[in-house]
Amino acid sequence: MDKDGEIVLTDAAKRFGAYTALHPTNLVISRGQAVLLVGANGAGKSTLLRLVAGLSRPSDGKVQINGHDLQDAPEARSAIGLLSHQTLLYDELTARENLRFFAQLYGLHNVQERLDEALAEARLDDRQHHRVSSFSRGMKQRLALARATLHRPSILLLDEPFTGLDTGSATALRQFLHLFRGNGGTCILVTHRLDEADGLVDRLLVLERGHLRLDQALSSDLDQLYAHCAPYLDSAL
Amino acid sequence: MSFIGRALAILRKDLQAEWRTKERLSPMVFFTLLVLLVFNFSFELGGAALREIGPGVLWSSYVFASLLGLGRSFADEHENDALDALLLAPGDHGAIYLGKMVGNLVFLLAIELLSLPFFALFFNLSLGFFLVPLLAVFVLGSACLASVGTLFAAMSNNMRLRELLLPLLLLPMILPALISCVAATKIVLANGHFTELLPHMQMLGVYAVVFTVLSLMLFEYAIEE
Repeated sequence: MDKDGEIVLTDAAKRFGAYTALHPTNLVISRGQAVLLVGANGAGKSTLLRLVAGLSRPSDGKVQINGHDLQDAPEARSAIGLLSHQTLLYDELTARENLRFFAQLYGLHNVQERLDEALAEARLDDRQHHRVSSFSRGMKQRLALARATLHRPSILLLDEPFTGLDTGSATALRQFLHLFRGNGGTCILVTHRLDEADGLVDRLLVLERGHLRLDQALSSDLDQLYAHCAPYLDSAL
Repeated sequence: MSFIGRALAILRKDLQAEWRTKERLSPMVFFTLLVLLVFNFSFELGGAALREIGPGVLWSSYVFASLLGLGRSFADEHENDALDALLLAPGDHGAIYLGKMVGNLVFLLAIELLSLPFFALFFNLSLGFFLVPLLAVFVLGSACLASVGTLFAAMSNNMRLRELLLPLLLLPMILPALISCVAATKIVLANGHFTELLPHMQMLGVYAVVFTVLSLMLFEYAIEE
């Protein structure tokens, strides 16, 4: 069975001392699925995303990516791309230097060609030798997306990726996500603004105080999204 | 990409960023020179007394200057959560430690070399004669500082009181190496015999190797939230 792009959580839980950020959770996200993860602040969304990314170890249970436990097989992390509201970039390096650095870490071949391609896709080829500190928020986020997808991951984790983007940049990001899904990529999108997810997702996960309360297939209709999420979001406010 | 290749990529990135900002080197160099200057005017020493106190002054200034540099060594990663991107890259996280540790070693050696002529000037020493053994002491002493300091800098990176925590962790731990650094420097400045110097160099070598290996093993846990 093809496990490329598959995410499996088996009784995965995360505790910080006496505080349980995520209670034991079982979840299977298959290749090509686009999942919207919602919940109020402190519901455990970022914790779940960090577990899936391998940035945090589960206190109990396990997290498998493409059939591999990330703690046992660190090379499996190459299947994951992470785009967050933070850029995860170095302000003092140029756009090209940033991408070259990450290309080296991922051991990519034909680095120069891949960088040219990624910078062109991000519409930053004319600014590639400028420091990131001189970029606008939209340019930084386009570069962050280029960084997150430089190694062509099969799984994309998006943590509030639309934060601070203008309409044009947000539209470009939405177009990219449609393309990514069209190519069979798996993605988990965390957002507070449900309208941002309209038309992008086919499954809804709702977390409330560390518990997975709802796991529902969607037809990507915005009204349906609101109907499903409202009780959980309101109760936590 | 190999473990060493990833460590080199991180080292190169850190050196490139530092070359542009001078955020770490500038305060470290100025702090070292200021300490030497203050001690020069505080004590009016000459001859044997100078050789007694000089190495202690020199290494104290390096240790406190290293705290400034070590404290900044994960600051770039903290700024835009870039550490997450590093941790997401495939392969052993020990490569991050090694790249950062070698970077800290380079910065420490740089301030030592830059401050040495001023030390000679302030303390009225002729450096030419004992430059080579002194450089060997610098390399080993700095490796000790960088090995344990990089691990503690990573540990304290996510903590609220990191500026306070780093010296509290580092200073007691570096004490055995610091004693050997001062003793070895004293022997070199007194033009002592190589057999006197050897035990201290061995101690520094063992300390650096043991703490580098230990830190490589522990880094994964130190960097975790």
